[in-house]
Amino acid sequence: MRAKVTVLIVMLVGLHGVLLLAGFFAPYDPAAQNRELSYAPPTRLHFKDALEFHLRPFVYASAVVMEGDQRGSYQEGRSREYQVRLFVTGASYKLLGVHESTTHLFGVSEPARIFLFGTDAYGRDEFSRVLFGGQISVAAGIVATVITLFAGSVVGIIAGYYGGWVDELLMGVNELFLSLPWLYFLLGVRAFLPLHLSTLRTFFLLTGVIGLIGWARPARLVRGVVLSSRNRSYVLAGRGFGATDFYLSRRHILPEVFGLLLTQAALLVPRYIAAEVTLSFFGLGVNEPVASWGNMLSTLQQYSVLVSYGWLLAPACALVVTSVLYSSLAELFHSRLKSS
Amino acid sequence: MARDHLIRVSDLSVTYCADEGMPIRAVDGISLEISPQEIVGILGESGCGKSTLAGALLRLLPPGAKSEGGILFRGLELMNLPEAELRALRGREIALIPQDPALSLNPVITAGVLIGEVLRAHLPLSAAERRQRVKELLCEVGFDRPEEIYSAYPHQLSGGQRQRIAIAQAMACRPGLLVADEPTGKLDATLQSEIIELLSKIRQQHGTAILIISHDPAILAGFSDRIAVMYAGRIVEVGSSAEIFGRPLHPYTQALMRIASSMITSAGVISRFPAIAGESPDPGCIAEGCRFEPRCSERMDVCSQRYPQTFLPEPSRLVNCFKYGE
Repeated sequence: MRAKVTVLIVMLVGLHGVLLLAGFFAPYDPAAQNRELSYAPPTRLHFKDALEFHLRPFVYASAVVMEGDQRGSYQEGRSREYQVRLFVTGASYKLLGVHESTTHLFGVSEPARIFLFGTDAYGRDEFSRVLFGGQISVAAGIVATVITLFAGSVVGIIAGYYGGWVDELLMGVNELFLSLPWLYFLLGVRAFLPLHLSTLRTFFLLTGVIGLIGWARPARLVRGVVLSSRNRSYVLAGRGFGATDFYLSRRHILPEVFGLLLTQAALLVPRYIAAEVTLSFFGLGVNEPVASWGNMLSTLQQYSVLVSYGWLLAPACALVVTSVLYSSLAELFHSRLKSS
Repeated sequence: MARDHLIRVSDLSVTYCADEGMPIRAVDGISLEISPQEIVGILGESGCGKSTLAGALLRLLPPGAKSEGGILFRGLELMNLPEAELRALRGREIALIPQDPALSLNPVITAGVLIGEVLRAHLPLSAAERRQRVKELLCEVGFDRPEEIYSAYPHQLSGGQRQRIAIAQAMACRPGLLVADEPTGKLDATLQSEIIELLSKIRQQHGTAILIISHDPAILAGFSDRIAVMYAGRIVEVGSSAEIFGRPLHPYTQALMRIASSMITSAGVISRFPAIAGESPDPGCIAEGCRFEPRCSERMDVCSQRYPQTFLPEPSRLVNCFKYGE
């Protein structure tokens, strides 16, 4: 059990660390195009050449080779080996948005390229785009979750603490929001707004809309907990000492809600990442050329692309991995909560 | 005369309105005065409305409870006071020692912080000053090593220690009136007397008036100046402590005292516990007459017809029984 928890935490921290430092881990600029290398398959890492076995992997430079009238296919030029090197100098990027740097974790010398997940139609490195797109998608999920849980717990605490008509009113509105088919509502709201907005504005619009629709369920859960804890003797005693309602709810009631909020957060983050991906997939989220998992997947709307260039499903795999990690975390929180 | 009173409760009634069924009148037309520095005991059996009375004095009743009547505290009519002013009063002027400190102290907050909370609610102190005050308070309620207690969680303390913490909380802002709801209810006999001693020491040092609520005559006997005996939501007799114990007037009080004394004298050879025959009336359906009438050994015809008014058989003694009038 303990080992499992450790592994889970290490993996989560690792995932977020890699996404956060995407510029360093990605070998290329996510927007840099290589028109002559469109839809290049993932670059193969070799350990063995004609003569001997190498400990350090190397790659061959690939190029499109035309065979008669047929469509061209990528072939490796075996004439020269390019070793994969660590801490190479490449395109400049800003680490965490502040620190200018040109060092990348790995890379190969030109003219060879290392495309771990292949390239898309414009020859952009899919691996770099998964990392940079993950920044947007995961951040959207986290920010939307924070908004949701904040709004939800404020409403839930007010409804549960004061009860009476306040409770009835808030819970009435709550039911209205619960009954909304949120995905369609989100599509509707987004479609209503101008299509081309700056990335930052789209980002906050998206997370804001997701958060404002999502508050209903956590609010209901929080209300339930508050309802049972507001009549605890120590809350009543606190009132007897003249503590304000705000103080009592922050100091004596919020801590009881905290475990619940933590579990909810772990459940909501992957859900909201999926929401962002869905919107961007439909072209209503983050716009090109900025990468997000959703708009990267949107090229797969064409069936021919989906069957021919399977490596473009990489963002979907990243989404699945992230979701599984968060769900395991939620499971962990939940079992802790139950046992305590 | 009225100006001398710290708090003057007049004709106070509290009714609990359940969603279904009859509204229950837990406290019914109680009048009581407490002078500054006076200790008044409320004696009554479980369910007679003692705790409801305590809550009503601080205007702290569960939702659905309605109170009527007047509570005049230092010239302020509490019944008309807005919630914000009541809050400023609670803990600062009137403080409650809750029934069970094991429940009334938040288990995840340390004792020092819990006491500091009360100061924080009323006084503009810096964190360091507050800490200092809390330590003084801890010494005052009889802890030798306040440092240790300051950072202890309630579950690490014994029942008696927790009760002291609750008293320190109540005394934090030096209130004029302390309402102690069964402060010794969960303690054994030796601890009971320690807590009672502590309370009388507090009265001596700070001149705090105390309203102490108990079901145990022995607790109130040596401690209170005056005692009000409650039965089924009403006060049936008020008198000085010595008078109530020495010469009870109301048949209910007399029965109580007989039980209390027989418990003491026959200790060791208790073949059966003495008791008052019958049960106290269901607060949901109370008859017209005297509430103790069905169990009273001295009942008269008039007793079942109407409730006896208050008689003053002797100066400073009040009793609601037809034996003393008409």
